[in-house]
Amino acid sequence: MNAFYDGHVVIIQATFVGILLALSIQVPLRLGVFSFAGAGFYGIGAYVGGNVVIRADLQAVPAIACGAVAAAAVGLVLGLVLQRLNGLYLAMATVAFDLMIGVVAVNGGEWTGGPTGLYGILTDLTLPIILVVVGVFLVAAELSERGRAHRRIEAVREDPELAASMGIRVGAYRVVGFVVSGLAGGAAGAMNVMTRTTIGPADVGFGLVILALTMIIVGGALSWKGAVAGAILFTWLPQVLTFVGEWQELVYGCVVLLAGIFLPRGLYGLWVDTRRRLAARRRPPALSEQAHQDVPQEMTS
Amino acid sequence: MLELDDVSVHHGRVEAVRHVSLGVTPGQITLVLGPNGAGKSSTLGAVAGLFAPVEGRVLLDGVPLTGVAVHRVVRAGIALVPEGRRVFAPLTVEENLRMGAYTSSAAHTQTTLAAVNEMFPILHERRRSAAGLLSGGEQQMLAFGRALMSDPTYLLLDEPSMGLAPAVVEQVVDKIGVIASTGIGVLMVEQNAEAALGIAHDVAVLSRGEIVFRGTAAEVSEHASVLHAFLGDVGGAIASDVS
Repeated sequence: MNAFYDGHVVIIQATFVGILLALSIQVPLRLGVFSFAGAGFYGIGAYVGGNVVIRADLQAVPAIACGAVAAAAVGLVLGLVLQRLNGLYLAMATVAFDLMIGVVAVNGGEWTGGPTGLYGILTDLTLPIILVVVGVFLVAAELSERGRAHRRIEAVREDPELAASMGIRVGAYRVVGFVVSGLAGGAAGAMNVMTRTTIGPADVGFGLVILALTMIIVGGALSWKGAVAGAILFTWLPQVLTFVGEWQELVYGCVVLLAGIFLPRGLYGLWVDTRRRLAARRRPPALSEQAHQDVPQEMTS
Repeated sequence: MLELDDVSVHHGRVEAVRHVSLGVTPGQITLVLGPNGAGKSSTLGAVAGLFAPVEGRVLLDGVPLTGVAVHRVVRAGIALVPEGRRVFAPLTVEENLRMGAYTSSAAHTQTTLAAVNEMFPILHERRRSAAGLLSGGEQQMLAFGRALMSDPTYLLLDEPSMGLAPAVVEQVVDKIGVIASTGIGVLMVEQNAEAALGIAHDVAVLSRGEIVFRGTAAEVSEHASVLHAFLGDVGGAIASDVS
């Protein structure tokens, strides 16, 4: 186990960073907000984290906090500015935001190190710290998938207008989505820069949006468990696929395509369905009675 | 008393509602009839806070409600049941009802839930089903129940008969009568005059954004020709009923 850990420490750390990145895209999607700003927040977290380590000599925990808070603050402003946008227009605006972060990274002078980026970002970051940070986000995500919070989030996503006429401040929920996305993305970026001790414009590019979307679409878009499954799968897949050599990209693409067609709700959806089917097999009479009831009543509509 | 005083609503350059005045009394049903595009939903939207009127005021017991945000209007005691019996399909029936109690305290929610279940036994029976699996009539009942969960003084109904089978429309209309009899003031907009006239107290006919006729339900039935002129075939059905 220890030998395995030593040999794979980088990829293990990358897995946890990947989980946070996936969450930063997933949180707004769960609220029905088509925001891909998570990738930009990741970039902000990475550069802010790198700068406070280099310039202020901060250690890992305060540096992660700085990256997360900075990205969350930008998220708050972005959420307020983009409040009236929806659907594809919102998606485009947030993609533009991600591209702007890339441009700033290249042209940021000594603050971003220009095209070559920042180097020598050394801290006391350890796996336990990463685990605690990711754990905090996952616990918060789990709580948001239960009871009241779950119902409200579903309501805001499924029918914002109806939710508002129920007394829910839909606009506030959406802004909170941006802020949480900023916190998760910023923390992910800051931890990434510390695990690799370096950051450059190529690391915060548009590719991150693709990666995070792939993770949550294959993993499952509506639960943190999907984000975790997707992050693990797509961090380790390249490792497993080394034997196919140059065909790796193609195999990777096929996996995503097949998942899109056959697992529309992702691995998490598959798991939920399987569990439900098993439960149904255990008590067949009750369920068939229920199904029987449903049919004639639906006909009356 | 819920009043619309000389309210006009514009959607961009389209004048959807022009100088409409209406009143709703607790325990009574005010019916707004009109064909497609007459401005019925815009009128309700102006009360619910979905659209800000460009002119006029909405008054709740004399206090202006104009320009108050949607989510605050609910707290003032006005619940909207939007068009097309919208329910949160993936949530269960009971979860949908609890959503309606978003503005109430937990203790209060239990008593209201019991009252709603008593009024709509079918909702209690099917409390664990996903709302999307209910029949059309049941979904409309659920939409009513959900609105009642906020314990409103006034209920705004946007075409509750839409897309329902005639037999089901009758059940739904009966329930609206029951709701009003508990002391709630109902403002209902409808195209289906036949369905709604039987339970209404005051009726206004809306055409192209303006009120063209106003009176009690009995008066509207008497002047069936007026209805016929503005509602076409539906009015015709009433006319033949009367004659």
